[in-house]
Amino acid sequence: MTMRISADEIALRSRDIIHDLKPLEGPMLPILHALQAEFGYLPDAVKPIIADELNLSRAEVHGVVTFYPDFRDHPGGRHVLKICRAEACQSMGGDDLADRVRSLLGIDFHQTTPDDAVTLEPVYCLGLCACAPAAMLDGAVYGRVDEHCLSEIVAELRQ
Amino acid sequence: MSLVHEIDYGTPASRSEKQVTLTIDGRAVTVPEGTSIMRASMEAGIQIPKLCATDMVDAFGSCRLCLVEVEGRNGTPSSCTTPVAANMVVHTQTNRLKDIRRGVMELYISDHPLDCLTCAANGDCELQDMAGAVGLRDVRYGYDGGNHVRARNDGEINARWMPKDESNPYFTYDPSKCIVCSRCVRACEEVQGTFALTIEGRGFESRVSPGAHEHFLESECVSCGACVQACPTATLTEKSVIAIGQPEHSAVTTCAYCGVGCSFKAEMRGEELVRMVPWKDGQANRGHSCVKGRFAYGYASHKDRILNPMIREKISDPWREVSWEEAFSHVATELRRLQYQYGRESIGGITSSRCTNEETFLVQKLVRAGFGNNNVDTCARVCHSPTGYGLGQAFGTSAGTQNFDSIEQSDVVIVIGANPTDGHPVFGSRLKKRLRQGAKLIVIDPRRIDLVRTPHVEAAYHLPLKPGTNVAVMTALAHVIVNEGLANEQFIRERCDWSEFEDWAAFVSEEAHSPEATESFTGVPANLLRGAARLFATGGNGAIYYGLGVTEHSQGSTTVMAIANLAMATGNIGRPGVGVNPLRGQNNVQGSCDMGSFPHELPGYRHISDDATRDTFEKLWGVTLDNEPGLRIPNMLDAAVEGTFKAIYIQGEDILQSDPDTKHVSAGLAAMECVVVHDLFLNETANYAHVFLPGSTFLEKDGTFTNAERRINRVRKVMSPKNGYADWEVTQKLAQAMGLNWNYAHPSQIMDEVAATTPSFALVSYDYLEKMGSVQWPCNEAHPQGSPIMHVDGFVRGKGKFIRTEYVATDERTGPRFPLLLTTGRILSQYNVGAQTRRTENVAWHAEDRLEIHPHDAEQRGIKDGDWIKLASRSGDTTLRALITDRVSPGVVYTTFHHPDTQANVITTDFSDWATNCPEYKVTAVQVSPSNGPTEWQEDYNDLSRRSRRVAGKMEAAE
Amino acid sequence: MSHDQGQEKLVRMANQIATFFMSQPEAERASGVATHINKFWEPRMRRHLFDRLDEGADGLMPLVVEASAMINRPPPPAEAGSRNATPKSI
Repeated sequence: MTMRISADEIALRSRDIIHDLKPLEGPMLPILHALQAEFGYLPDAVKPIIADELNLSRAEVHGVVTFYPDFRDHPGGRHVLKICRAEACQSMGGDDLADRVRSLLGIDFHQTTPDDAVTLEPVYCLGLCACAPAAMLDGAVYGRVDEHCLSEIVAELRQ
Repeated sequence: MSLVHEIDYGTPASRSEKQVTLTIDGRAVTVPEGTSIMRASMEAGIQIPKLCATDMVDAFGSCRLCLVEVEGRNGTPSSCTTPVAANMVVHTQTNRLKDIRRGVMELYISDHPLDCLTCAANGDCELQDMAGAVGLRDVRYGYDGGNHVRARNDGEINARWMPKDESNPYFTYDPSKCIVCSRCVRACEEVQGTFALTIEGRGFESRVSPGAHEHFLESECVSCGACVQACPTATLTEKSVIAIGQPEHSAVTTCAYCGVGCSFKAEMRGEELVRMVPWKDGQANRGHSCVKGRFAYGYASHKDRILNPMIREKISDPWREVSWEEAFSHVATELRRLQYQYGRESIGGITSSRCTNEETFLVQKLVRAGFGNNNVDTCARVCHSPTGYGLGQAFGTSAGTQNFDSIEQSDVVIVIGANPTDGHPVFGSRLKKRLRQGAKLIVIDPRRIDLVRTPHVEAAYHLPLKPGTNVAVMTALAHVIVNEGLANEQFIRERCDWSEFEDWAAFVSEEAHSPEATESFTGVPANLLRGAARLFATGGNGAIYYGLGVTEHSQGSTTVMAIANLAMATGNIGRPGVGVNPLRGQNNVQGSCDMGSFPHELPGYRHISDDATRDTFEKLWGVTLDNEPGLRIPNMLDAAVEGTFKAIYIQGEDILQSDPDTKHVSAGLAAMECVVVHDLFLNETANYAHVFLPGSTFLEKDGTFTNAERRINRVRKVMSPKNGYADWEVTQKLAQAMGLNWNYAHPSQIMDEVAATTPSFALVSYDYLEKMGSVQWPCNEAHPQGSPIMHVDGFVRGKGKFIRTEYVATDERTGPRFPLLLTTGRILSQYNVGAQTRRTENVAWHAEDRLEIHPHDAEQRGIKDGDWIKLASRSGDTTLRALITDRVSPGVVYTTFHHPDTQANVITTDFSDWATNCPEYKVTAVQVSPSNGPTEWQEDYNDLSRRSRRVAGKMEAAE
Repeated sequence: MSHDQGQEKLVRMANQIATFFMSQPEAERASGVATHINKFWEPRMRRHLFDRLDEGADGLMPLVVEASAMINRPPPPAEAGSRNATPKSI
């Protein structure tokens, strides 16, 4: 179940957040992160608002938003699980891990489980190469992910 | 004759004075410091392969094709991003580079359609060129797998493929051919300054996105075409090229729309125009253009174009097509009859500000030598005649003081009564570029024009004054500058009359002229005005750009003088980056004034009462000239109504649509016995005409236009006139029919005559223009290269004159019946009365004129966005649809005048500038109320128009 | 527009010019008005002005009257069908 927020409310809450962060140097990314934290994703409607507030074009804002995979244009799950797909993790069984996670959760990368519990994303290098294969759940990192570790992660998700 | 070849150096030129010498491929090359290796090589004739680099934008370094090897440095740096260094040794072709380049091309071609033979870019594709240049033979990756090329992969829908975007009427975007070089994005940012494009996604998913993944037409794109020009493949291509094919020869000519006067290459196949491409060496536009010049030339072949002369007895009769001979003889007979019956001064002419200098010169010569009077005028009457008067009084010459390049050295810019991003778009882009580099902007306008706040540009001050209060605001600015000791005393002592300055300084310092005292009626907060004045006086090079929002007022001339005062007081004259810059509207309004179109002046702005000047022309033309000033257009109409003015020859102007107080204009025209209209289309004025002579377009004749910079640019004929004669030939034949012995074989001879009689044009000739490209007058012994900047050492009149500018409230007052103030303006896609642009695809952008009204005013009247409303003034009323916006202040409404059925000029009054009769378009007291539909006037007028356009023997064209 | 309306309009224009020159230094006022009208007003327009001046200058500002001494009075209108109808060759 996803909550629909009215366009007026999006506009109101966005402008508040933007006004707070506007004085920063290079405010666009802090604003985008804050808006995503607020709404759970970045509604299309915020792009022209950001453009207007920062005096940029819609195109520029769109370009930044679509460049970073972390920014979602639709609501995601309550949790985000990222599995590292880079070379060091691959050499330590990262591909098998990815397959295992997909079958456990029943979804592919970039998808969200039907109960909205988790969105699964690939990530290219968490800097934990010495503890490969690695994963990140909502910002908390896991190294040497094996079957045991995986069941812990899944339990966490089910809460 | 072949295509005009322009070299793409890859990266912009450096302005540095210091020179650096390096060795490239064994050759010594010397270039300015800051030049890239790529450009230095190109200047030496060595073409390094490139895809993402083009000299209209800064280096990017993404394609990795232009790599070179530099001795003593590791790796293979890209030559576009690497500046030259003294004694550097560069190799542009080595085995390692060959392998790398082929590898890059393999990657590009592995995700690109292979339909070269049927592709629109066949013959003009840089990707093709590079594949050939690097010796690509084999694409080892194959063509299977993920791609952006095919709509389906093995029967499955290919999510990466996007269909063509054909929304824009003039060009197509085909994402399957895009190599993501980002040239289009950078062109939109750096050259045009609109930032309408971006690259969305990353890596292999990267794609060009107009706006936020919108179609081009609904995005922020203004259709300037810079992206199409920058695109190295067929991804962004002109629809005309897709339809026709590649051009085979071209000629450099000048745009016939606005006063920027962009230079274009008209690229042809035979006598068919394939496309217009801006010419990089055009000194007004430096390779850029707007939607009108680049794309909106379709009117030249529109079905409405009249190609045969026509006559009729009464204006209620249908037109009768006749031969040219019959038309000329009829006009000559009529004009002489009327002169015999009513006097020598009972006929006159109007020259066109859109025809060439040579053509304008001939019309005024016809009036002066043929008709024997000075009843000749031009459309500058209704736009910049106050500039002529005001600057003539203050400086001694009535033209702008700079060239457009000057903006690159400005630090503070005042834009007053002008909207450059709409009216002078290429200049607007150059201004925005300078503002993004840090220059400051002050906007003085009742409306919040785009420049006030647009991506990456924000005015430091916007002074939203009430229409009609220009002089009070300008004098208040002067008050601050003088009172706070910010005037440039040294400049004033050297270049102006000190006692006149003291008199003026005392005048502006009076309390009544302070920002505080004027705030109540100008609507400009005093502290804002003080801040703006201080910024202009102390911010460095200060330049003032102004337009019709200054001149089209009852105090237009006074405001121009106030502007001149401000420039002199701050010492902002006589060098690049400063100056007084009238943004002249039409392509040749400056030229038309130069050529003596005014009733009181011979060519070169010399009064007709001056015996010496008259003598020069009398001797050459073999006839005595009238030494009394003639009638201006509004006075011609007055005299017509009184019965003393009976005939008029109007070349290329539609006074019924463009002049104010429509009822007065139509009364004047209806009272005449012989109205001759010489134009491309049956325009509104032609409704009252007795003779119609078909005109030619700028593509169909040789000549010159003079733009707002005083720059004389060549217009080159690229196709035969569809109507049979170029306009100058028509005027000549008319003169011959009246007994004048004219035998010009080519317009260059007409220019020679101008040069022989007019000191500021003395060195101008077609040969000289071939050599120089273009020159800014004065161009004579004293200024053999022309004059980019005027008044460098002294003013043309000697010392600059400070003139007191007292505010006089306009007679046009608001009151209970008419509580709002209407002001008017232009937009980007339509030009002036729309005669040309309405007959092109530009109607996609502005199909009707709308009335901009503030939410408060609308609410009070129960008006919603899009509603039909009645707009009424003392002069008349009309109907159009409302547009609710807060761009205008409460109490002010705004509209455009591009569509004749709007009849916007029924509303405007006959109030005008005290000195020149320039109509006060910008201030009309009006009332706005809900309406059911068109007014009676509009319906009657539409009927009249339709009846009047009937041509005997032809079916009425379906609209 | 009748003859009277035409004259009214010119009276208004003359007054506008005078209003401007009222703001200028004293020595330049009358001569300024006269020079301007001589330079820019066609003979028929000046004739209307003199008609009004001759009739008592009703509605005209005092400065216009003062300047009129320096304004060129145009000759009376030529007869219809006169030999002056076309320019004279040299």
